[in-house]
This record gives sequence, structure tokens and C-alpha cells, in this order.
Amino acid sequence: MPKHWLSILAAGVLIAGNSILASPQLLEKHCSKCHNEEKHKGDFVLTQLGSMPASDNFELWSTSLDYLSSGEMPPPENSSISDEDRTLLIKFFKDGVQSHSVTADAAHQPRPRRLNNREFANTVSHALLIEHAGSHHPTANLLGDTLQNGFDTSGEALGMSEFHLDEYLTSVRGILDAVILSPTRPPTQDYQISTDRLRMTSLSQRRRAERCNRTPTSIDFLDIRLRVYFENFKVVPHSGRYQLKIRATGIDRAHYDASETGIYDDDPIRLRVHLGNQIRDFDLPDNEVLEIELDEWLAEGTRIELSYPTDGLRLRGNGNFKFQYAIAHDHLKKHDPERYQNVINREIPRAPARTAKNPGHWSHWTDEWEGPRPRIFNAEIKGPIYEAWPPKRQTALLGESPRVSDAARILQPIAERAWRRDVSRDELQPIVQLVRSQAEKLGTVQALKEGIVAILISPAFLMLHSPDLSVAERFAEKWSYFLKSSPPKVSFRKQVASGQFEEFHQVRDEVYRLFRQAEVEAFLDAFPRAWLELNRINFMAPDPDHFPLYDRKRLSEDMVAEALHFFRHVIANNLPLSEFLEADYSFVNADLAKVYGLSDVPADSKLRRYQFTDGRRGGLLGMGAFLTLTADSLTTSPIHRAVYVMENLLGIHPSPPPPNVEIQEPDVRQARTIKEILSQHTADSNCATCHRGIDPYGYAFENFDPIGAWRDHYKRPGTTAPSRAARQRHKRNNLERIAQGLAVLPAPWEGKTMAIDSSARFRNGDAYQGIREYRELMQSDVNRRRFVRSFISKLLTYANGDADHSTALVNAILKRSEAHDFRILDTIAAVIHSPSFRN
Amino acid sequence: MPLDRRTFLKGLGGSLALPLLEAHAGLPQVAPTRFLVVGNPLGMHPENFFPTEFGPLNSLPTTLQSLEWLKDRITVLSHTDHGMVSGHGREISFLNGILPAQSGAYPEKNLSIDQFFARRVGSQVRFPSIHAALERGIRMSWNANGVELKPFTDPQKLFDHLFLNLSAEGKKRRRDLLERNGSILDTVRPQLSHIKGRVSQTDLERLDHYETSIRELEGSFADRAQWLDRDKPTFDISEHFNQFEVTVENRYNAIFDMIAYAFQTDLTRVATVAFPNELKYTDVKGVTRGYHACTHNGKKAEVIAELVAIESFQIAQLSRLLKKLDAIQEPNTNGTMLDNTIVLFGSGMGYGGTHSNRNLPILVAGGGFKHRGHVDTQDASGRNMPLSNLFVRFIQRFGLETETFNTSTGSFDLAHA
Repeated sequence: MPKHWLSILAAGVLIAGNSILASPQLLEKHCSKCHNEEKHKGDFVLTQLGSMPASDNFELWSTSLDYLSSGEMPPPENSSISDEDRTLLIKFFKDGVQSHSVTADAAHQPRPRRLNNREFANTVSHALLIEHAGSHHPTANLLGDTLQNGFDTSGEALGMSEFHLDEYLTSVRGILDAVILSPTRPPTQDYQISTDRLRMTSLSQRRRAERCNRTPTSIDFLDIRLRVYFENFKVVPHSGRYQLKIRATGIDRAHYDASETGIYDDDPIRLRVHLGNQIRDFDLPDNEVLEIELDEWLAEGTRIELSYPTDGLRLRGNGNFKFQYAIAHDHLKKHDPERYQNVINREIPRAPARTAKNPGHWSHWTDEWEGPRPRIFNAEIKGPIYEAWPPKRQTALLGESPRVSDAARILQPIAERAWRRDVSRDELQPIVQLVRSQAEKLGTVQALKEGIVAILISPAFLMLHSPDLSVAERFAEKWSYFLKSSPPKVSFRKQVASGQFEEFHQVRDEVYRLFRQAEVEAFLDAFPRAWLELNRINFMAPDPDHFPLYDRKRLSEDMVAEALHFFRHVIANNLPLSEFLEADYSFVNADLAKVYGLSDVPADSKLRRYQFTDGRRGGLLGMGAFLTLTADSLTTSPIHRAVYVMENLLGIHPSPPPPNVEIQEPDVRQARTIKEILSQHTADSNCATCHRGIDPYGYAFENFDPIGAWRDHYKRPGTTAPSRAARQRHKRNNLERIAQGLAVLPAPWEGKTMAIDSSARFRNGDAYQGIREYRELMQSDVNRRRFVRSFISKLLTYANGDADHSTALVNAILKRSEAHDFRILDTIAAVIHSPSFRN
Repeated sequence: MPLDRRTFLKGLGGSLALPLLEAHAGLPQVAPTRFLVVGNPLGMHPENFFPTEFGPLNSLPTTLQSLEWLKDRITVLSHTDHGMVSGHGREISFLNGILPAQSGAYPEKNLSIDQFFARRVGSQVRFPSIHAALERGIRMSWNANGVELKPFTDPQKLFDHLFLNLSAEGKKRRRDLLERNGSILDTVRPQLSHIKGRVSQTDLERLDHYETSIRELEGSFADRAQWLDRDKPTFDISEHFNQFEVTVENRYNAIFDMIAYAFQTDLTRVATVAFPNELKYTDVKGVTRGYHACTHNGKKAEVIAELVAIESFQIAQLSRLLKKLDAIQEPNTNGTMLDNTIVLFGSGMGYGGTHSNRNLPILVAGGGFKHRGHVDTQDASGRNMPLSNLFVRFIQRFGLETETFNTSTGSFDLAHA
């Protein structure tokens, strides 16, 4: 059997040159004991390597190279390979990998794929010269984008069906209806929204009574689940420009103790104006009227509503807002006994029997609520206002008085923006034909509108990477969608076509410029979300009983914000990529400080840079987002965390467990630690081969609980069920501690604690005791390169819509990145400059 | 023209007596076969779902209690699944046995069994299929392009879709729109052919999807134009909404009533209803936690009790519908509507607590089958039966000759009475 592969490998020697002459023998000597036909450890047999890397086994070659370089293979405990032999073997694989040259990538062109929903909305807006697709939710009917490993740009996941096409028709028509209006000009009107026309509505489908403190001149937000709407202006009657004035103030900012309300004294009281799907936030000054002024183009049917965005007011009871009213009870009882008694005298006799017994019941205190809240006085709206008729946005597309005979001239620039390329009038012939045939029945303007619908339903519009683009057009398109999720400006297309970005330094300068000028918001939000799979954070949300703060203060939002903020920080300072793994700082606010156990953080919701001195946190590896989204709701899983680190940060892809394994259900009652349970993996030889390579990446995080807070012990639940009263007493006690930011106490019946073992040994022999040493190991040269390689691969996946790029291509980009100290913007520029982008 | 909620609540009352059948040719000569799926994404707590013994059902497990009245006319299958590895995200293979990632290997991608039937029924009825859930769907229906179908998540919208008639003016406008949309599709065709001429074989696939989409949408426009002139049956579900607080139960009642009536009037013959993970079940007695959290109960009795309450609620909703179908005489036959409706309850996940996707909880009712009680489908060598074998049996019951469906290895033995 060894002869068999030996002879195959020998064939490769001739091609790859002298240096590898010895290697087939070395492979047999060091690797064939396990990777032969019989044992095929890790599901890998040497013969699979063939004589040279080919497209179907290239992955094996590069994985082998990676394992050899990191010292994981051959495993140190079973092998005594000399440094010299290892170097020779590494060289052998390196040469092989490089021989499978970049030519493989030159052949690889990203396949056409459908626009995702973000790109669709941006591309329509670009084609129609409008600021956004419309305030009336015109794209809400589209099917949601399916994520593939977190990415919403995956060509495989973005399917196409008659259902999609049907929804696109509906959506495009909805957008156009707010741009090209019906022929009669609607009159401009003034709407005075006096206090008594301000109304409250519920968000869910359940009916709720209006709960607001109302005076003749103002209403206050009480229930944060409600929104204010204008009784005499529920929806926008005609598309057009509207001027809004809303008078409001913030009151009672620090009337109650912040630990009761969950709203920090230094946080602003905010009012959110919903203009359909558009959101405008305003910080309200205390006890001083702010006149909010808005001037916006609103589409017919847009709802205007006001809400009070806060992550507070959910600390009591089960986290439902209504229990907060009891704070008014506690406060009055303590600070204003006379008023307290008056309320009791007034409320108790009218209360139903169930609550009358309990003066502290929330329902008696709704009228007394004095928590921080917006107070709204009145509003006025003027509109629709048109600076000209037909409106400018219509004439910008069609001209002042369009004629059917000019259809080609009118539609050509629209098509060029929409299709991201030069368009000939010949090509527009079928669409011009459509306009002509409809004009008689519909009139010129409406017929041209049909023509625009056709432009926006065309494959050239809906499909990215379309084969009818020239090389330059395609490059411009890819670059633009990569960083802006929207089409290239015409000027940019011209720049690319004239060869202004042939050299790396030209690409880099342009990337610098784009990031400096804040034109890449789409990338700064969408890419880190996809790469770090941040949208998964509440897929398995922490148990609300055990981790109440997480649920009640919407910690997932703070955690995601932390990760995005860190990403922006690395970009803004063009730091080396290693910063993600090695930084000893991150960006935290007072809520995150409670999770991370920090006492010297200002008491508000703003994220600020924080230097960690304990060596446990800083960068991605200590972030709540990562630690939470990889945990179950009650327990942590070292394997989930290990796989996350491997897949998303190091670019190692462990194979999934075979379908026939029986996975034991974790039983929180049992007295075994997760490590003891998992030790079964390494005892069972079926599991051991892979898990010895996987598990060490995850054990270091065991000191972080399911929301990423530090713990020194596991709690072991007891067996006897306590009384209801005892459970409630314990819960109440803990809720008070939570409000104060203290750690939850274990229940007396929960039994003893168990020690955490967060040590492990990697397959290459490197061992660590806990997270500090683990973090040091992550900074090795091998891991640093793995991280950069993985980051490049994620960038390519995001840009290309598939993960088909080769290791050789990634290595070429890596080389350029290295020449620029692995700085993030230079690395992004290197990706754009790569053949995969330019072909 | 959209009508406001009040119309829906009050305007359509009093017309329940004699439902008019939708089908153009009057009563169908042969009773139609229908298909209903009720599913969830997290499986069922096994100890409370699977009966302890095989064979006829003497006493029912906790979760199935509400089906006591039907216990001689259901089949519960043990040891059947799609052979998926553990973990979330694979339950979406419930009705096809194939994950989207694997679907490239099949000519009709991961077409789900409900859509297989819907396509067969086609434009014989107004709606080839209807899909409903509250909050959001569970991704169980997939078309032959591998695209998931979105359910109605608002009973009001489902009501409008099923029962609201357009005014004469509205109909004219709708017809005009259909015509204009048809012209748009004609217009974009030449460009598609042009682009297709310029690509390599591997790139062709996605452009082919585009072309198929255009063709199918044109077909769909033609069907819609036909149905536009016929009035829909009238119906009233206001009773479920005349409450101070409209609960999850009220809303599911409304959904199931609409489906029963849509079956009765032959508006559709294929329906799916989902109980999603994201819905708050706290209206259900005894439930305070999230659905997903309850499956990860660490074997704590009080949390399991909440999970079982949610699961029992789902079965109770199903039972209520089955009772309704069983009370309606099927025209031209001796049986009831239930006898002509294949009902499948289940999940693509075995049990969320273990993340297992083996041994799926599967329950079959109706369809005129000779039901078998609790059946162990494991073969002699201990292998679980592919769930697709059951789907093959369903297809045969639908009157189609087939031996295979996706990953099937045979046909589940369930005789037709």
C-alpha cells in the first residue's frame, strides 16, 4: 500500500524541482502510520494528495501545510520529527501550494448573483436620483435575505423565483409612485396638531388602553411600548416635501434612583420620530422646550409616529414595563407620605379585590409616574410643498415636458445608472417600444414610468457581476458594492475605465480617501456583522431568569455596538489586523461594565475606550458579543467557542461530526463539569482525532459565563426543590443586586460550586493555563498569519458572494498586506487590487 | 381597495349558512384530496409526545391529550427522520429531507412536499397553497427554485387575501396592472437572452432561474386574470377578535377557521401552519419563558412543564381544526372532509433539548387512511426510516404514481380505507 502513493508522489518530483526529492520518503516516515488506507485518521489518507495539488484536493494540501507549520502535525506525543525534516516537509508543501498558481484564480470569476435587499434599495435610489427608496416601506414585501455563515451576499443563498420577480415588480412600482406623481398638483395644507390631537397607540396587535399623563397642554410618555400619533395626520396624504415642527422636552431625568429605573442620570432623554421606515432621533433638553424641525420628502401612506427609545424601565417583575409603576409607590411612601396616603385613599376603594389588598401593586400608581420621559406639547405639519410642478425629482428623470419620441434619450442615463455600464440606444429598443405602445393608453409620463419599471426588472439591474459588463465596468461595480453596497458613480466608472487604478498605490489612495470621507457606512456595518456573525447573538439568548440584566437592559445591543465600534476604531486608525486579537482595550459603557466587572466607568450609555489591566480582556477575544453568541442559554460550550475562533478568526475549518453520533443532552443537575463530559470525546477514538484539534481552542473561555461575565466556579444546582416563597425571596434579593450591578448570588439550594479547569494543550504541544496564556499563544506568528489569512478570506467571501477563492490567491494578498504591516486599509486595498477583483 | 378592520369584523357576518364552492365547474365529481401541515421548529419533548407502547393507542401521552377523541384514527411514527446531524438550522428540511446547501444535487432543489402538491393542483383552485403563522414562519415551504415561501403572519392580511372581493373598479385596475406587468416581462426577455449568450456553462444556472421565473410569473398572471372575475366566498371570523385582549389562541383559532373554510369552499387544497420559535406563548396557561429557552430546560421539571404546555397548545389547536373538518360532510362521498385531507403534524427537529434531528415527532391524521396507532418504523438492523418514505405514501394517496421522493427508500405502509 505505501508503494502505491509513493509512486504517485514520485511523479511530482520532476515538476517541482530538487528541494522536495526527499519528501515522499519523509511523508512515509512521519505521516503514513496514521494516514494510511486502514486507519485514515482525521478522515485523511496520504494518497488523496496525489502528485500535485489539483482543484479537488488543494484544500488538503493547504491544510497539511498549515498543520505542519503550526506543529500540530505530526502530533508531538507520537512523533520525533527533527526540525530539519519538518522544514523540508514544509518546503515540500509550500512549493506544491505555490505551483498551483494564481492561474487557478485567474480562471475564477464570480458568478452572477441577485442583489440582496440592501443593495436593491441603494441601487434603485441611485438610478432614480433619490436619497432613499422611500419612507413608505416600499421594500418590506421582499423576501428576507438568507444568511450563509453570516453573509448576506452569498450568491447561492440569494435565489431567484417567480415569487421574487413578482415582489420586485410590486416594490419598484411602489418606489416609483412616490417619485413620478399623478398629474394634478395636490394643495399645500397646514395641520395644527394641538395637544388633544396627540394620541397613543400600541405597537403589537394587542389592544392597550391609552396610558399617558395628559394635561391640556402636554402629554407624557409613560408606557414605553406605546407610540404617539397625530389624530388629524395619521398618514401622509400625498407624496411630497413636508415641514414638521414638534415641541417637546425631557422631564424628571433623575427623579427616581437610576438603579431602580435602569436609566442613567447622564443619559439624554430621547425622542424618536418615525417617518415610516426612516428614523430621526433627538436629545431633549431638560425642562426647556425644544422645537424639532424636519423638512423631508415623504411618500404617500407614510405613518408619522413618535416613540421613546430607552433600554431602561424593564428592571422590575418579569421585565414587563408595567411593573415599573411600583417605583412610584416606593418613592412616595418614602419621600412624600401625605401624597402617598392620598393615592391610597383614592385608588384602593376603586381597585378590584385582587389588587386592593396590595397597595404596592403597580396598577394603583400609573397616574403618579415620575420617571424620566419625553413630554410633548404639540406639533404642526405643512405640506405637501413643491418647489415646482411637476416636482423636481420627476423632471430630473424625465425633463420638463417629455415626449414619447424622446424616450430613448430620456431613459438612457437612467439605464446607465441602473445597469452600472454604458448603454446604447439600440439596446433600449425593446423598452422604447414598450413606452410607445403604452403611451396612447396611459399618457406619456405614465408610459415612461413603465419603461423605468422595465429597466429595474431587467437582469442587468437585478444581477450583479453580469457578464455583459466590460472588465473595467465589472471592477468598478465590484469595488463599489464591496465598500458601499451601492452602484459606482458614473465619475468613478470613468476613472476606472481611464486606467486610474492600475497600480496598488492608486487603489490604496482611493481606499484611504473613501474611508476618510465616511462614504463606506455600509461596509462598516455589514461586513463586521457578517464576519463575526453578530446577528446570531440572540439565536440562543441567555436565560432571562439567570441572566436578567441581559434581557432587561438589552445588553445584546451594547455588545454588538462594542464589536462594531472596535472595528471602526481599527479602521479609523488604520491599525494592523493583529489589533483585533492583541489589543488590551475595548470600548465599554456602564451596562457592559457591569458584565465585565469594571468599577471605574462613567455611569452612562456612551461607549468609551477602556484599558484592561488584568490580561483577560481586550479585542475580540474578550468581547461579550463573541462570548454570548457562542454560548447556550444556561451553559457555555467550549466547542462552540472553539469552532467560532477557528472558523471566523483563524480560518481553520474543522469537519462536522459524522451523522451517526449520539450527542448526550447536557444535564445541569449532574455533578460533572463540561470538561469531564467532553473528555469522553478524547477517550473515544472516533471523536478523538478531530476533537483533540478542536477543543483546546475553546477551554480557555470557560471562565466566561453565557453572557461573558467572569466566573471562578461553576454553580452546581441542588436537587431538592425549594418552596415558592423561598424562590421568590431569593429572586427579589438578586434583582436588587442586579440593579446595583452586583453579581447574582447562588441560591442556597443550588448546592456547591465546582472548580473551572480552563487549561488545555494544543496538538502541537503548546499548553496554557487559562485565558491569559491562551491570549499569548494567539499572538504567535503562525496564529497571527492565520488570522490575517482568514480576514482576507472573509473579505473575499463578502465581495465575491462565494468562498471559492484559493489559498494561493489569499497568500498573494497576504504578502502585500505584510509589506504594509498588515494594516487594515492596506489589506482591504490589496484585496481590491487582487486578480480576483480585477478579472 | 383595502377595507378597514371594521369591515372585517362586522361587515361579513351572517353569511355562514351555505358556503359556495369556488371551483368553476361546480362540484368536483371526485372529492379532492387536500394536504395540511402543522409544524414547529423545535421538535417535541419526547417523553411527553411518544406513547410508551407500540400498537393501538389506549392511553395518550400528555402532549397528545386533546386528541383523545381521535385516538383510533391517528398514526404516530417513531424512529423516522431525514438522517440529519444535530443542531438548529436543519429543521428547515422537514418537508423535503434536503438542506439548501445540498439542494443543487436535485433537479427541483429542495422542493417541499406541500409545494409538490400545490404545483400539481395548480390553477384548479384560486390559491395553489396558503401559508400562515404568527410572528414569522419556520422556513418549511420551499419551491422548486430552492426559495422559501413566506407565510402570512397577520390573520387580517390572510383574511383579506382569502376572502375580500375587489370592487368593479378595483378589478379593472388589477387587470390593467396584470397586463402592464405582463408587458414588462416581455420587454426584459431579449436582454436576458443576450446575456445568456455571453456566459459560461456554470454561470448559466442562475440566469436560467431568471428565465424560469419570468415564465412562471407569466403563467401566474394568466391564472390570476382568470380568477379575478369570480367572487370569493364570504366568511366571518370576527368572534375571535371581539375580545378585550386578543390572545395567541384567538389568532390561531382565526387562522385555522379560515383554513377549514378555504378547504370547504375549495379556495385551496394545500395549507401549512407554523408555530414559530419567536412567538411569545405567554398567553398560554403556565407559560412564562420563551419557547426556545424551554427546550433547553436542563431537565428541570418546572421548565419542562412549560415546554409541554406550549406543545400541548399546538396539538390542541390542531385537534380543534380536525374536529371541525370531521364535522363537515364531504360532498359526493360517505366520508367527512377529514377523510379527504391528509394531515401531517411534526417538526424537522427531533427535540430541541438535545439538538437532535433524529427520531422526529411525526403524527398523521385523516386522509382516509387505516391508521395504525403508534408505529416503530425502525428496520431490523436498527436504522430509522427516512421520513420521505411517508411523503411517498402521501403522493400515492394523492393519486400520483411514484416510487420515490428525494431521499426515500420505499413507501411507508399505511393502507387506504
